[in-house]
Amino acid sequence: MTFEYTILILGYIFGFYMAWNIGANDAANAMASSVGAKAITLRQALFVAGILNVAGAVFVGTHVVDTISKGIVSPEALTDPKVAIVGALSALIAAALWVFFATWKALPVSTSHSIVGAMVGFGIIVGGFSSVNWWNLAGIVASWIISPIFSMVLSFLVFKIIYRFILTQKELMARAFGLSPYFIGTTFFVVIMSFLCKTPLGKRMALDTITSTGLSLAMASTVGYAGKCLLKRHTKKTGEEGVEHTFRHLQLVTACYMALSQGANDVANAIGPLALIYFFVSNGSIGGQIEVPIILLLFGGVGIAAGIAMWGHRVIETMGHKITTLTNTRGFSVEFGAATTVLLASKMGLPVSTTHAAVGSVIGVGLARGIEAVNFRIVGQIMLYWFITVPTAAITSMVIYKILYLLFF
Amino acid sequence: MRIPILSMFMTSPFEGLQEHAEKVRDGAAIFRIAVKCYLNAECESFERARHEVSDLEHQADAVKRRIRGHLPKGTLLPVDKFQIFDYLKEQDKVIDCFEHVLDWLSFRPADKIPEYFRKDILFLVDSVLDPIDRLNEMLTDARRYFKTFSQEDRDIVKEHIRELRKKEGQADILEATLKHDIFAKETDAVTIFHLIRLVETLGEIADHVENAGDRMRAMIAR
Repeated sequence: MTFEYTILILGYIFGFYMAWNIGANDAANAMASSVGAKAITLRQALFVAGILNVAGAVFVGTHVVDTISKGIVSPEALTDPKVAIVGALSALIAAALWVFFATWKALPVSTSHSIVGAMVGFGIIVGGFSSVNWWNLAGIVASWIISPIFSMVLSFLVFKIIYRFILTQKELMARAFGLSPYFIGTTFFVVIMSFLCKTPLGKRMALDTITSTGLSLAMASTVGYAGKCLLKRHTKKTGEEGVEHTFRHLQLVTACYMALSQGANDVANAIGPLALIYFFVSNGSIGGQIEVPIILLLFGGVGIAAGIAMWGHRVIETMGHKITTLTNTRGFSVEFGAATTVLLASKMGLPVSTTHAAVGSVIGVGLARGIEAVNFRIVGQIMLYWFITVPTAAITSMVIYKILYLLFF
Repeated sequence: MRIPILSMFMTSPFEGLQEHAEKVRDGAAIFRIAVKCYLNAECESFERARHEVSDLEHQADAVKRRIRGHLPKGTLLPVDKFQIFDYLKEQDKVIDCFEHVLDWLSFRPADKIPEYFRKDILFLVDSVLDPIDRLNEMLTDARRYFKTFSQEDRDIVKEHIRELRKKEGQADILEATLKHDIFAKETDAVTIFHLIRLVETLGEIADHVENAGDRMRAMIAR
């Protein structure tokens, strides 16, 4: 058994490294604009991001983990447990290496894309091209294209709504207060629904779709209304300043929303392959349906939180300084669009990139003419790295598998 | 750091516009001194001021080129980028005019300008320079409008533009009166030519400021 445990321990180490990296780098997407717009302090941001990433990972994160551990490489190819766990470890190491390289060279690379690419490489070398679930992979790749566009459209619409129904109106504050319950309510509706549907928590409560929708709606309306009352009490300024102030408070909600979504989606990048290793080590095979153990999700979440605590402040601070042009109304639109996209993708089990969703959102607000100057051309660069990341991670994964194979067999 | 969002936010071209407008304002102050020195026949001070204006013109030119060069394809702005270029063109012509006027003056000694026109010329200079402070204010307020999009801020900008137009109208009247006087009082063709062209170039300053206002009006159109 020492062989399996060696692999498992290595899996934990590299899984933790991936999680740490997500926390250190990608967590800035959620918090930087809030810190830049002075909606929260850096310390608060780090704390909230850490806690909510763990919560998102543990309570909502299972679907994407399933996709990465079981949706890309078909289980039929993984009859030999030894091969399977070495392969999963190679995938994890390959993704970690590529992400390390990207961080070092400051390349706009997504952890989600790296891990998916690495899993594909592992599938190909273990069972040939037929062992990769190409349909699922096509779905994942499609989600990479759709998710930034979706978040772009969402943020565009949100900002246009703010522009049309608040900013250009006469009674600014009344309008802002009037719309705030809808903004808060929608956010909470999506969050509560994602907690209730198809999660261990939801299963335990045994709610059907209609009940959970009703329950979410009721809770969301209550929170929305309560939020409005709180906003009214805490916003003393009037006019344009008052509107930005209101959105500064609302941004607290969306920043949390974003951190939660990120935990839900990105935890899989770290523990997807680890979950696979865990199955084999604890069961000896991949028989039937196995739940992703909560402890693994928690492990990933804590890894992300550790990354945020240790390194996140640097990235958030730098980014926060840079994006001060994002006022509260804009920051709100960006975060709302990106977080909704990522959370919905998580519920569909799609490993999307939080960073790319945020990029899409910024472009959306830019297209709505809300920002003084946004560079659209970054999109071309990002797309280039899509095409580089997947094959690179796949090939690295294959090479590492061969090396490990020589070492262990 | 491998976060692309960082490289998405670019330096705002409005910052450059403001910087350019400040150069125009600085230029205006020195331009006024230069004209005064010229009319008082203080040649040395005139030359010094002329060089300073010329320096500022070069600096403004550099700002202009920087703005134009740093708005590549695929830059998302609150306004169309060519509207910014159009605006900038007009604002830049203002400082160009300063240089033209001073060059024109330098071609002929001051004692050739009849005494009784000197005061009127200075008066015209003040009149065409008057709206330049407004131009700077307009830019600051416009920038705020692009953040808030509020009707209130938009009205403030519109008020600035209206004021610029009004001041151009006043300068126009002065210019016309002065031209009338020149033809009425002067007989020497060379002097008339020198004076008329001087007055016309001075008038252009106010025209370009007004045009800049009009371009701004297009930018804030809903």
